[in-house]
Amino acid sequence: MAIIELNKAKKTFGSGHKQVDAMKETDFTAEKGELIAIIGPSGSGKSTFLTIAGGLQSPSSGEIIINDQNLSNMNEKSRSKVRLKEIGFILQASNLVPFLTVDNQMKLLDNVKKDNMTKKELDKLYEDLGISDLRKKYPADLSGGERQRVAIAKALYSKPSIILADEPTASLDSERAYEVMELLKKETKSNDTTTIVVTHDIRLIDYCDKVYKMTDGILKLQEKQESEELKTS
Amino acid sequence: MFLAWNEIKKNKLRFTLIIGVLMLVSYLVFFLSGLATGLASLNREAVDKWDATAIVLNVESDKSLPQSSITTDELNTIKGKETAVLGQLNAIATSGELKQNISLFGINPDEFIMPEVTEGDVFTNENEVIASDTLQDDGFKIGDELALSSTEEKLTIVGFTDSARFNAAPVLYGELSTFQKVKFGEGSEENKDQINGIVIRGDDVESITTSNDDLEVIEAETFIENLPGYTEQSLTLNFMIYFLFAISSVIVAIFLYVLTVQKISMFGVMKAQGISNGYLSRSVVAQTFLLAVIGVVVGFGLTLLTGAFLPSAVPVAFDIPTMIIYGLVLIVVAILGAVFSVLTIVKIDPLKAIGG
Repeated sequence: MAIIELNKAKKTFGSGHKQVDAMKETDFTAEKGELIAIIGPSGSGKSTFLTIAGGLQSPSSGEIIINDQNLSNMNEKSRSKVRLKEIGFILQASNLVPFLTVDNQMKLLDNVKKDNMTKKELDKLYEDLGISDLRKKYPADLSGGERQRVAIAKALYSKPSIILADEPTASLDSERAYEVMELLKKETKSNDTTTIVVTHDIRLIDYCDKVYKMTDGILKLQEKQESEELKTS
Repeated sequence: MFLAWNEIKKNKLRFTLIIGVLMLVSYLVFFLSGLATGLASLNREAVDKWDATAIVLNVESDKSLPQSSITTDELNTIKGKETAVLGQLNAIATSGELKQNISLFGINPDEFIMPEVTEGDVFTNENEVIASDTLQDDGFKIGDELALSSTEEKLTIVGFTDSARFNAAPVLYGELSTFQKVKFGEGSEENKDQINGIVIRGDDVESITTSNDDLEVIEAETFIENLPGYTEQSLTLNFMIYFLFAISSVIVAIFLYVLTVQKISMFGVMKAQGISNGYLSRSVVAQTFLLAVIGVVVGFGLTLLTGAFLPSAVPVAFDIPTMIIYGLVLIVVAILGAVFSVLTIVKIDPLKAIGG
Protein backbone atom coordinates (compact mmCIF):
# COMPACT_ATOMS: atom_id res chain seq x y z
CA MET A 1 0.00 0.00 0.00
CA ALA A 2 1.34 3.38 -0.98
CA ILE A 3 1.90 5.51 2.07
CA ILE A 4 2.96 8.59 0.16
CA GLU A 5 1.99 9.48 -3.35
CA LEU A 6 2.88 12.41 -5.60
CA ASN A 7 0.71 12.70 -8.72
CA LYS A 8 2.01 15.07 -11.37
CA ALA A 9 3.23 17.28 -8.54
CA LYS A 10 5.07 20.34 -9.75
CA LYS A 11 6.58 23.32 -8.02
CA THR A 12 7.31 26.60 -9.75
CA PHE A 13 8.55 29.87 -8.35
CA GLY A 14 8.08 33.31 -9.84
CA SER A 15 5.94 34.00 -12.89
CA GLY A 16 6.17 34.93 -16.57
CA HIS A 17 9.69 34.99 -17.98
CA LYS A 18 11.24 34.60 -14.60
CA GLN A 19 9.33 31.42 -13.87
CA VAL A 20 11.55 28.67 -12.53
CA ASP A 21 10.55 25.04 -12.23
CA ALA A 22 12.13 23.92 -8.97
CA MET A 23 10.50 20.56 -9.42
CA LYS A 24 9.08 19.43 -12.72
CA GLU A 25 6.01 17.22 -12.95
CA THR A 26 6.78 14.31 -10.68
CA ASP A 27 5.10 10.99 -9.98
CA PHE A 28 6.38 9.19 -6.96
CA THR A 29 5.10 6.50 -4.62
CA ALA A 30 6.61 4.82 -1.60
CA GLU A 31 5.39 1.72 0.21
CA LYS A 32 5.52 0.73 3.82
CA GLY A 33 8.83 -0.71 4.93
CA GLU A 34 10.80 0.92 2.12
CA LEU A 35 14.03 2.82 2.60
CA ILE A 36 14.47 5.22 -0.28
CA ALA A 37 17.35 7.51 -1.15
CA ILE A 38 17.00 10.67 -3.18
CA ILE A 39 20.37 11.82 -4.42
CA GLY A 40 21.40 14.76 -6.46
CA PRO A 41 23.61 17.83 -6.36
CA SER A 42 22.58 20.89 -4.44
CA GLY A 43 20.10 23.05 -6.31
CA SER A 44 18.68 20.05 -8.12
CA GLY A 45 15.32 20.31 -6.40
CA LYS A 46 15.89 17.71 -3.67
CA SER A 47 14.91 20.08 -0.94
CA THR A 48 11.79 21.15 -2.79
CA PHE A 49 10.87 17.49 -3.11
CA LEU A 50 11.50 16.96 0.59
CA THR A 51 9.41 19.93 1.68
CA ILE A 52 6.50 18.89 -0.52
CA ALA A 53 6.71 15.28 0.56
CA GLY A 54 6.92 16.50 4.13
CA GLY A 55 3.83 18.64 3.80
CA LEU A 56 5.74 21.85 4.48
CA GLN A 57 4.48 23.41 1.28
CA SER A 58 1.89 22.56 -1.33
CA PRO A 59 2.82 21.79 -4.94
CA SER A 60 1.92 24.46 -7.52
CA SER A 61 -0.02 21.82 -9.38
CA GLY A 62 -0.64 18.11 -8.99
CA GLU A 63 -1.38 16.21 -5.83
CA ILE A 64 0.37 15.00 -2.72
CA ILE A 65 -1.34 12.26 -0.75
CA ILE A 66 0.02 11.08 2.57
CA ASN A 67 -1.65 8.08 4.17
CA ASP A 68 -4.87 8.73 2.23
CA GLN A 69 -4.96 12.44 3.08
CA ASN A 70 -4.72 14.83 0.17
CA LEU A 71 -2.53 17.73 1.26
CA SER A 72 -2.61 19.65 -2.01
CA ASN A 73 -5.23 22.16 -0.97
CA MET A 74 -4.73 22.16 2.78
CA ASN A 75 -3.77 25.30 4.66
CA GLU A 76 -0.69 25.43 6.88
CA LYS A 77 -2.66 24.62 10.01
CA SER A 78 -4.11 21.41 8.61
CA ARG A 79 -0.80 20.43 7.06
CA SER A 80 0.84 21.03 10.42
CA LYS A 81 -1.53 18.46 11.95
CA VAL A 82 -0.72 15.92 9.25
CA ARG A 83 3.00 16.50 9.81
CA LEU A 84 2.63 15.96 13.52
CA LYS A 85 0.76 12.70 13.07
CA GLU A 86 2.38 11.17 10.01
CA ILE A 87 5.90 12.46 9.59
CA GLY A 88 9.10 12.19 11.53
CA PHE A 89 11.81 14.60 10.47
CA ILE A 90 15.52 14.03 10.86
CA LEU A 91 17.22 17.21 9.86
CA GLN A 92 20.68 18.15 8.83
CA ALA A 93 20.94 20.72 11.55
CA SER A 94 20.01 19.15 14.83
CA ASN A 95 16.28 19.27 15.39
CA LEU A 96 16.66 18.92 19.11
CA VAL A 97 15.49 21.60 21.52
CA PRO A 98 18.67 22.85 23.24
CA PHE A 99 17.16 23.25 26.70
CA LEU A 100 15.53 19.84 26.94
CA THR A 101 17.16 16.64 28.11
CA VAL A 102 16.93 13.62 25.83
CA ASP A 103 14.02 12.28 27.85
CA ASN A 104 12.25 15.62 27.75
CA GLN A 105 12.63 15.83 23.97
CA MET A 106 10.29 12.85 23.85
CA LYS A 107 8.07 14.25 26.58
CA LEU A 108 7.55 17.37 24.48
CA LEU A 109 5.96 15.17 21.85
CA ASP A 110 3.71 13.63 24.51
CA ASN A 111 2.54 17.17 25.22
CA VAL A 112 1.41 17.79 21.68
CA LYS A 113 0.44 14.38 20.37
CA LYS A 114 -1.21 11.18 21.58
CA ASP A 115 -0.32 7.58 20.75
CA ASN A 116 3.42 7.88 20.91
CA MET A 117 5.65 4.99 21.90
CA THR A 118 5.04 3.37 25.25
CA LYS A 119 7.70 3.50 27.93
CA LYS A 120 8.71 -0.03 27.07
CA GLU A 121 8.99 0.68 23.35
CA LEU A 122 11.04 3.79 24.08
CA ASP A 123 13.42 1.84 26.31
CA LYS A 124 13.95 -0.62 23.51
CA LEU A 125 14.46 2.18 21.00
CA TYR A 126 17.07 3.81 23.25
CA GLU A 127 18.79 0.49 23.55
CA ASP A 128 18.73 -0.12 19.80
CA LEU A 129 20.21 3.29 19.22
CA GLY A 130 22.72 2.90 22.03
CA ILE A 131 21.65 6.05 23.82
CA SER A 132 20.18 4.58 27.02
CA ASP A 133 22.84 6.30 29.09
CA LEU A 134 22.14 9.73 27.61
CA ARG A 135 18.58 10.17 28.89
CA LYS A 136 19.39 12.97 31.30
CA LYS A 137 21.82 14.80 29.03
CA TYR A 138 21.28 18.02 27.12
CA PRO A 139 22.01 18.17 23.36
CA ALA A 140 25.05 20.39 24.00
CA ASP A 141 26.65 17.58 26.02
CA LEU A 142 26.33 15.06 23.19
CA SER A 143 28.66 14.32 20.30
CA GLY A 144 27.46 14.83 16.73
CA GLY A 145 26.76 11.12 16.31
CA GLU A 146 24.91 10.88 19.60
CA ARG A 147 22.82 13.90 18.70
CA GLN A 148 21.90 12.39 15.37
CA ARG A 149 20.88 9.16 17.07
CA VAL A 150 18.72 11.11 19.53
CA ALA A 151 17.19 12.92 16.54
CA ILE A 152 16.37 9.54 15.03
CA ALA A 153 14.82 8.43 18.32
CA LYS A 154 12.75 11.61 18.36
CA ALA A 155 11.59 11.06 14.78
CA LEU A 156 10.61 7.47 15.54
CA TYR A 157 9.05 8.18 18.93
CA SER A 158 5.85 9.62 17.51
CA LYS A 159 5.36 6.44 15.43
CA PRO A 160 5.16 8.28 12.13
CA SER A 161 4.19 6.54 8.90
CA ILE A 162 6.98 8.34 7.05
CA ILE A 163 10.45 9.39 8.14
CA LEU A 164 12.06 12.15 6.13
CA ALA A 165 15.78 12.52 6.64
CA ASP A 166 17.62 15.48 5.18
CA GLU A 167 21.33 14.75 4.95
CA PRO A 168 21.22 12.72 8.17
CA THR A 169 24.89 11.89 7.94
CA ALA A 170 26.25 15.26 6.90
CA SER A 171 28.09 15.99 10.12
CA LEU A 172 29.35 12.49 10.70
CA ASP A 173 32.49 10.60 9.76
CA SER A 174 32.11 7.55 7.50
CA GLU A 175 31.92 5.00 10.24
CA ARG A 176 29.23 6.93 12.11
CA ALA A 177 27.40 7.62 8.88
CA TYR A 178 27.18 3.90 8.10
CA GLU A 179 26.06 3.22 11.64
CA VAL A 180 23.24 5.77 11.35
CA MET A 181 22.13 4.32 8.02
CA GLU A 182 22.21 0.83 9.48
CA LEU A 183 19.97 2.02 12.30
CA LEU A 184 17.57 3.75 9.95
CA LYS A 185 17.32 0.60 7.89
CA LYS A 186 16.71 -1.55 10.93
CA GLU A 187 14.01 0.76 12.31
CA THR A 188 12.33 1.07 8.92
CA LYS A 189 12.05 -2.68 8.63
CA SER A 190 11.06 -3.40 12.22
CA ASN A 191 8.46 -0.65 12.49
CA ASP A 192 7.22 -1.00 8.93
CA THR A 193 7.61 2.72 8.28
CA THR A 194 8.70 4.42 5.12
CA THR A 195 11.99 6.27 5.21
CA ILE A 196 13.12 8.72 2.60
CA VAL A 197 16.69 9.93 2.86
CA VAL A 198 17.71 12.98 0.89
CA THR A 199 21.45 13.13 0.50
CA HIS A 200 24.29 13.88 -1.83
CA ASP A 201 26.36 11.20 -0.15
CA ILE A 202 26.25 8.29 -2.61
CA ARG A 203 28.06 5.97 -0.21
CA LEU A 204 24.75 5.54 1.58
CA ILE A 205 22.80 4.08 -1.29
CA ASP A 206 23.86 0.52 -0.46
CA TYR A 207 21.46 0.59 2.44
CA CYS A 208 18.48 1.68 0.40
CA ASP A 209 15.81 -0.34 -1.37
CA LYS A 210 15.37 2.24 -4.09
CA VAL A 211 17.47 5.12 -5.28
CA TYR A 212 16.14 8.13 -7.11
CA LYS A 213 18.26 10.75 -8.71
CA MET A 214 17.19 14.36 -8.94
CA THR A 215 18.63 16.46 -11.74
CA ASP A 216 17.34 19.90 -12.66
CA GLY A 217 13.96 19.26 -11.10
CA ILE A 218 13.46 15.84 -12.69
CA LEU A 219 13.21 12.82 -10.42
CA LYS A 220 14.31 9.53 -11.94
CA LEU A 221 14.42 6.03 -10.48
CA GLN A 222 17.89 4.49 -10.77
CA GLU A 223 18.28 0.87 -11.73
CA LYS A 224 20.57 -1.13 -9.46
CA GLN A 225 23.50 -1.17 -11.84
CA GLU A 226 23.14 2.55 -12.53
CA SER A 227 23.49 3.14 -8.83
CA GLU A 228 26.65 1.07 -8.79
CA GLU A 229 28.01 3.17 -11.61
CA LEU A 230 27.17 6.30 -9.71
CA LYS A 231 29.20 5.04 -6.82
CA THR A 232 32.28 4.28 -8.82
CA SER A 233 32.19 7.38 -10.96
CA MET B 1 4.36 25.32 30.73
CA PHE B 2 6.59 22.31 30.01
CA LEU B 3 8.81 24.16 27.52
CA ALA B 4 8.65 27.38 29.52
CA TRP B 5 9.77 25.86 32.78
CA ASN B 6 12.46 23.62 31.31
CA GLU B 7 13.98 26.55 29.47
CA ILE B 8 14.09 28.62 32.64
CA LYS B 9 15.70 25.73 34.49
CA LYS B 10 18.37 25.29 31.82
CA ASN B 11 19.16 28.99 31.38
CA LYS B 12 19.10 30.10 34.99
CA LEU B 13 21.35 33.13 34.65
CA ARG B 14 19.52 34.58 31.68
CA PHE B 15 16.14 34.27 33.30
CA THR B 16 17.39 35.40 36.69
CA LEU B 17 18.42 38.64 35.02
CA ILE B 18 14.97 39.13 33.51
CA ILE B 19 13.34 38.31 36.83
CA GLY B 20 15.76 40.78 38.43
CA VAL B 21 14.63 43.58 36.14
CA LEU B 22 10.96 42.76 36.75
CA MET B 23 11.66 42.59 40.45
CA LEU B 24 13.24 46.05 40.44
CA VAL B 25 10.37 47.54 38.46
CA SER B 26 7.79 46.00 40.80
CA TYR B 27 9.85 47.11 43.80
CA LEU B 28 9.76 50.66 42.51
CA VAL B 29 6.03 50.47 41.78
CA PHE B 30 5.26 49.07 45.22
CA PHE B 31 7.47 51.58 46.92
CA LEU B 32 5.97 54.50 45.05
CA SER B 33 2.51 53.22 45.87
CA GLY B 34 3.62 53.03 49.51
CA LEU B 35 4.84 56.62 49.33
CA ALA B 36 1.64 57.73 47.63
CA THR B 37 -0.45 56.07 50.33
CA GLY B 38 1.81 57.43 53.06
CA LEU B 39 1.76 60.98 51.75
CA ALA B 40 -1.98 60.78 51.21
CA SER B 41 -2.67 59.65 54.75
CA LEU B 42 -0.37 62.41 55.98
CA ASN B 43 -2.95 64.77 54.56
CA ARG B 44 -6.19 62.97 55.13
CA GLU B 45 -6.05 60.47 57.96
CA ALA B 46 -7.81 62.75 60.46
CA VAL B 47 -10.65 63.34 58.00
CA ASP B 48 -10.82 59.61 57.21
CA LYS B 49 -11.03 58.85 60.93
CA TRP B 50 -14.21 60.94 61.22
CA ASP B 51 -15.88 58.65 58.73
CA ALA B 52 -17.88 61.67 57.64
CA THR B 53 -20.06 61.97 54.56
CA ALA B 54 -19.69 65.68 53.96
CA ILE B 55 -18.55 68.96 55.41
CA VAL B 56 -20.35 72.27 55.25
CA LEU B 57 -18.19 75.33 54.63
CA ASN B 58 -18.66 78.92 53.64
CA VAL B 59 -19.00 79.26 49.85
CA GLU B 60 -16.39 82.02 49.76
CA SER B 61 -13.77 79.79 51.39
CA ASP B 62 -13.38 77.78 48.17
CA LYS B 63 -13.47 74.45 50.01
CA SER B 64 -10.65 75.46 52.35
CA LEU B 65 -11.34 74.75 56.03
CA PRO B 66 -9.01 77.44 57.52
CA GLN B 67 -10.53 80.10 55.25
CA SER B 68 -14.11 79.20 56.10
CA SER B 69 -15.91 81.07 58.81
CA ILE B 70 -19.44 80.28 59.94
CA THR B 71 -21.44 80.34 63.13
CA THR B 72 -22.99 77.57 65.16
CA ASP B 73 -26.44 79.02 64.32
CA GLU B 74 -26.04 77.62 60.82
CA LEU B 75 -26.71 74.20 62.29
CA ASN B 76 -30.40 75.08 62.05
CA THR B 77 -30.22 75.44 58.28
CA ILE B 78 -28.60 72.02 57.78
CA LYS B 79 -30.34 68.71 57.25
CA GLY B 80 -28.19 65.69 58.02
CA LYS B 81 -28.21 62.67 60.28
CA GLU B 82 -25.35 63.53 62.61
CA THR B 83 -23.52 66.81 62.84
CA ALA B 84 -20.35 68.00 64.53
CA VAL B 85 -19.08 71.55 64.78
CA LEU B 86 -15.45 72.14 63.96
CA GLY B 87 -13.12 75.05 64.54
CA GLN B 88 -9.65 74.82 63.06
CA LEU B 89 -6.46 76.84 62.99
CA ASN B 90 -2.81 76.22 62.22
CA ALA B 91 -0.04 77.17 64.62
CA ILE B 92 3.43 76.34 65.78
CA ALA B 93 3.45 74.48 69.09
CA THR B 94 6.55 74.76 71.25
CA SER B 95 7.47 72.76 74.31
CA GLY B 96 10.98 73.45 75.50
CA GLU B 97 13.27 72.47 72.64
CA LEU B 98 10.49 70.80 70.67
CA LYS B 99 8.75 72.72 67.93
CA GLN B 100 6.06 71.41 65.65
CA ASN B 101 3.62 72.72 63.09
CA ILE B 102 0.17 71.68 64.36
CA SER B 103 -3.46 71.90 63.42
CA LEU B 104 -5.78 72.72 66.34
CA PHE B 105 -9.31 71.29 66.10
CA GLY B 106 -11.97 72.74 68.38
CA ILE B 107 -14.85 70.29 68.85
CA ASN B 108 -17.74 69.39 71.11
CA PRO B 109 -16.71 66.26 73.05
CA ASP B 110 -20.19 64.72 72.75
CA GLU B 111 -20.20 64.84 68.94
CA PHE B 112 -18.98 62.10 66.59
CA ILE B 113 -15.63 63.56 65.59
CA MET B 114 -14.39 63.27 69.16
CA PRO B 115 -11.33 61.00 68.99
CA GLU B 116 -10.75 57.95 71.14
CA VAL B 117 -7.61 58.23 73.20
CA THR B 118 -4.96 55.57 72.76
CA GLU B 119 -3.04 56.80 75.78
CA GLY B 120 -3.83 59.21 78.63
CA ASP B 121 -7.22 60.82 79.14
CA VAL B 122 -9.77 62.89 77.26
CA PHE B 123 -9.78 66.66 77.79
CA THR B 124 -12.15 67.84 80.49
CA ASN B 125 -11.09 71.45 80.95
CA GLU B 126 -10.30 74.35 78.72
CA ASN B 127 -6.75 74.40 77.33
CA GLU B 128 -6.45 70.64 77.60
CA VAL B 129 -5.89 68.78 74.33
CA ILE B 130 -5.64 65.28 72.91
CA ALA B 131 -2.66 65.19 70.55
CA SER B 132 -1.80 63.11 67.52
CA ASP B 133 0.51 60.25 68.48
CA THR B 134 2.98 61.45 65.85
CA LEU B 135 3.83 64.20 68.34
CA GLN B 136 4.65 61.42 70.80
CA ASP B 137 7.16 60.06 68.26
CA ASP B 138 8.63 63.57 68.07
CA GLY B 139 9.21 63.56 71.83
CA PHE B 140 6.14 65.31 73.22
CA LYS B 141 4.71 63.74 76.38
CA ILE B 142 1.50 63.78 78.39
CA GLY B 143 1.57 66.80 80.68
CA ASP B 144 3.66 68.91 78.29
CA GLU B 145 2.65 72.56 78.11
CA LEU B 146 2.54 73.88 74.59
CA ALA B 147 3.15 77.51 73.80
CA LEU B 148 1.43 78.56 70.57
CA SER B 149 2.83 80.98 68.01
CA SER B 150 -0.27 83.15 67.70
CA THR B 151 -1.39 83.55 71.29
CA GLU B 152 -0.43 83.77 74.94
CA GLU B 153 -2.62 80.77 75.72
CA LYS B 154 -0.87 77.57 76.74
CA LEU B 155 -2.27 74.13 75.98
CA THR B 156 -1.64 70.96 77.97
CA ILE B 157 -1.45 67.50 76.41
CA VAL B 158 -3.66 65.12 78.40
CA GLY B 159 -3.83 62.24 75.96
CA PHE B 160 -2.83 60.87 72.58
CA THR B 161 -4.86 59.48 69.70
CA ASP B 162 -3.84 57.68 66.52
CA SER B 163 -4.46 58.59 62.87
CA ALA B 164 -4.71 62.29 63.55
CA ARG B 165 -2.90 64.24 60.88
CA PHE B 166 -4.50 66.90 58.73
CA ASN B 167 -2.77 68.42 55.72
CA ALA B 168 0.59 67.08 56.92
CA ALA B 169 0.27 68.59 60.41
CA PRO B 170 -0.40 66.62 63.62
CA VAL B 171 -3.78 67.49 65.10
CA LEU B 172 -4.54 68.74 68.62
CA TYR B 173 -8.16 68.10 69.61
CA GLY B 174 -9.60 70.44 72.24
CA GLU B 175 -12.84 72.02 73.43
CA LEU B 176 -14.46 74.48 71.03
CA SER B 177 -13.90 77.16 73.69
CA THR B 178 -10.18 76.30 73.81
CA PHE B 179 -10.00 76.88 70.06
CA GLN B 180 -11.87 80.19 70.36
CA LYS B 181 -9.56 81.39 73.14
CA VAL B 182 -6.55 80.63 71.00
CA LYS B 183 -8.04 82.22 67.94
CA PHE B 184 -9.73 85.32 69.32
CA GLY B 185 -7.81 85.92 72.55
CA GLU B 186 -9.72 88.42 74.67
CA GLY B 187 -12.54 88.63 72.15
CA SER B 188 -13.37 84.97 72.60
CA GLU B 189 -16.55 85.66 74.55
CA GLU B 190 -18.16 87.65 71.71
CA ASN B 191 -17.01 85.04 69.20
CA LYS B 192 -18.10 81.93 71.00
CA ASP B 193 -20.39 80.90 68.15
CA GLN B 194 -17.61 81.21 65.56
CA ILE B 195 -16.49 77.98 63.91
CA ASN B 196 -14.92 76.98 60.58
CA GLY B 197 -17.24 74.25 59.42
CA ILE B 198 -19.75 71.58 60.27
CA VAL B 199 -18.91 67.93 59.71
CA ILE B 200 -21.85 65.72 58.79
CA ARG B 201 -22.38 62.01 58.78
CA GLY B 202 -25.33 60.77 56.73
CA ASP B 203 -26.48 58.01 54.42
CA ASP B 204 -25.29 59.77 51.28
CA VAL B 205 -24.25 63.25 50.27
CA GLU B 206 -27.56 63.95 48.47
CA SER B 207 -29.47 63.62 51.72
CA ILE B 208 -27.45 66.46 53.24
CA THR B 209 -28.72 69.93 52.40
CA THR B 210 -28.50 73.47 53.68
CA SER B 211 -31.08 76.21 53.21
CA ASN B 212 -28.43 78.92 53.47
CA ASP B 213 -27.07 79.97 50.06
CA ASP B 214 -23.84 81.19 51.61
CA LEU B 215 -23.00 77.66 52.67
CA GLU B 216 -21.80 74.75 50.59
CA VAL B 217 -22.13 71.00 51.23
CA ILE B 218 -18.84 69.37 50.17
CA GLU B 219 -18.46 65.63 49.94
CA ALA B 220 -15.67 64.34 52.20
CA GLU B 221 -13.58 63.04 49.25
CA THR B 222 -13.92 66.35 47.40
CA PHE B 223 -12.91 68.19 50.53
CA ILE B 224 -9.75 66.07 50.80
CA GLU B 225 -8.89 66.53 47.14
CA ASN B 226 -8.99 70.27 47.69
CA LEU B 227 -6.49 70.22 50.53
CA PRO B 228 -3.48 72.31 49.44
CA GLY B 229 -1.06 70.17 47.42
CA TYR B 230 -2.96 66.94 47.94
CA THR B 231 -4.17 66.35 44.38
CA GLU B 232 -0.89 67.51 42.83
CA GLN B 233 1.06 65.14 45.05
CA SER B 234 -1.04 62.08 44.39
CA LEU B 235 -1.25 62.81 40.67
CA THR B 236 2.54 63.04 40.44
CA LEU B 237 3.10 59.73 42.20
CA ASN B 238 0.32 57.95 40.35
CA PHE B 239 1.67 59.25 37.09
CA MET B 240 5.04 57.71 37.90
CA ILE B 241 3.36 54.43 38.74
CA TYR B 242 1.42 54.35 35.48
CA PHE B 243 4.61 55.12 33.59
CA LEU B 244 6.31 52.22 35.29
CA PHE B 245 3.53 49.93 34.11
CA ALA B 246 4.18 51.00 30.53
CA ILE B 247 7.95 50.71 31.01
CA SER B 248 7.77 47.22 32.45
CA SER B 249 5.61 46.14 29.54
CA VAL B 250 8.19 47.49 27.09
CA ILE B 251 11.11 45.93 28.99
CA VAL B 252 9.46 42.53 28.98
CA ALA B 253 8.55 42.94 25.31
CA ILE B 254 12.17 43.72 24.39
CA PHE B 255 13.70 40.96 26.49
CA LEU B 256 11.33 38.30 25.24
CA TYR B 257 11.60 39.51 21.68
CA VAL B 258 15.39 39.18 21.76
CA LEU B 259 15.09 35.72 23.29
CA THR B 260 12.52 34.73 20.70
CA VAL B 261 14.57 36.01 17.77
CA GLN B 262 17.49 33.92 19.03
CA LYS B 263 15.25 30.87 18.96
CA ILE B 264 13.64 31.42 15.55
CA SER B 265 15.31 28.40 13.94
CA MET B 266 14.41 26.22 16.89
CA PHE B 267 10.78 27.32 16.71
CA GLY B 268 10.90 26.77 12.94
CA VAL B 269 12.06 23.20 13.41
CA MET B 270 9.36 22.58 15.99
CA LYS B 271 6.76 24.01 13.65
CA ALA B 272 8.07 21.79 10.84
CA GLN B 273 7.52 18.84 13.14
CA GLY B 274 3.92 19.90 13.39
CA ILE B 275 3.94 21.57 16.80
CA SER B 276 1.24 24.21 16.55
CA ASN B 277 1.55 27.98 16.86
CA GLY B 278 -0.92 27.76 19.70
CA TYR B 279 1.30 25.48 21.76
CA LEU B 280 4.42 27.57 21.21
CA SER B 281 2.59 30.83 21.90
CA ARG B 282 1.07 29.49 25.08
CA SER B 283 4.52 28.41 26.12
CA VAL B 284 5.91 31.96 25.69
CA VAL B 285 2.96 33.47 27.56
CA ALA B 286 3.30 30.89 30.33
CA GLN B 287 6.98 31.72 30.60
CA THR B 288 6.27 35.44 30.86
CA PHE B 289 3.65 34.70 33.49
CA LEU B 290 6.15 32.70 35.53
CA LEU B 291 8.84 35.37 35.25
CA ALA B 292 6.43 38.17 36.13
CA VAL B 293 4.92 36.34 39.09
CA ILE B 294 8.33 35.53 40.54
CA GLY B 295 9.58 39.09 39.92
CA VAL B 296 6.50 40.69 41.46
CA VAL B 297 6.43 38.43 44.51
CA VAL B 298 10.12 39.03 45.23
CA GLY B 299 9.62 42.78 44.68
CA PHE B 300 6.68 42.70 47.07
CA GLY B 301 8.69 40.97 49.78
CA LEU B 302 11.59 43.34 49.30
CA THR B 303 9.28 46.35 49.60
CA LEU B 304 7.82 45.17 52.88
CA LEU B 305 11.31 44.40 54.15
CA THR B 306 12.55 47.87 53.22
CA GLY B 307 9.46 49.41 54.81
CA ALA B 308 10.25 47.68 58.08
CA PHE B 309 13.71 49.25 58.20
CA LEU B 310 12.80 52.79 57.17
CA PRO B 311 12.82 55.59 59.76
CA SER B 312 9.34 56.79 60.72
CA ALA B 313 10.05 60.17 59.15
CA VAL B 314 9.63 58.58 55.71
CA PRO B 315 5.92 58.71 54.98
CA VAL B 316 5.39 55.21 53.60
CA ALA B 317 2.26 53.25 54.32
CA PHE B 318 1.55 49.98 52.56
CA ASP B 319 -1.99 49.46 51.51
CA ILE B 320 -1.96 45.73 50.74
CA PRO B 321 -5.10 45.62 48.51
CA THR B 322 -3.72 48.44 46.33
CA MET B 323 -0.36 46.71 46.12
CA ILE B 324 -2.01 43.43 45.10
CA ILE B 325 -3.90 45.25 42.35
CA TYR B 326 -0.67 46.92 41.15
CA GLY B 327 1.10 43.55 41.24
CA LEU B 328 -1.63 41.98 39.11
CA VAL B 329 -1.48 44.92 36.68
CA LEU B 330 2.30 44.40 36.38
CA ILE B 331 1.78 40.73 35.55
CA VAL B 332 -0.86 41.62 32.97
CA VAL B 333 1.28 44.28 31.25
CA ALA B 334 4.22 41.86 31.20
CA ILE B 335 2.03 39.36 29.38
CA LEU B 336 0.99 42.10 26.97
CA GLY B 337 4.69 42.59 26.32
CA ALA B 338 4.92 38.93 25.32
CA VAL B 339 2.39 39.46 22.54
CA PHE B 340 5.16 40.76 20.24
CA SER B 341 7.02 37.51 20.59
CA VAL B 342 3.87 35.54 19.93
CA LEU B 343 3.41 37.47 16.68
CA THR B 344 7.01 36.67 15.74
CA ILE B 345 6.49 32.98 16.37
CA VAL B 346 3.30 32.89 14.32
CA LYS B 347 5.17 34.47 11.41
CA ILE B 348 8.05 31.98 11.40
CA ASP B 349 7.99 29.91 8.22
CA PRO B 350 8.83 26.27 9.01
CA LEU B 351 9.96 25.87 5.42
CA LYS B 352 12.93 28.16 6.06
CA ALA B 353 13.97 26.12 9.08
CA ILE B 354 14.35 23.09 6.87
CA GLY B 355 16.34 25.11 4.40
CA GLY B 356 13.87 24.61 1.58
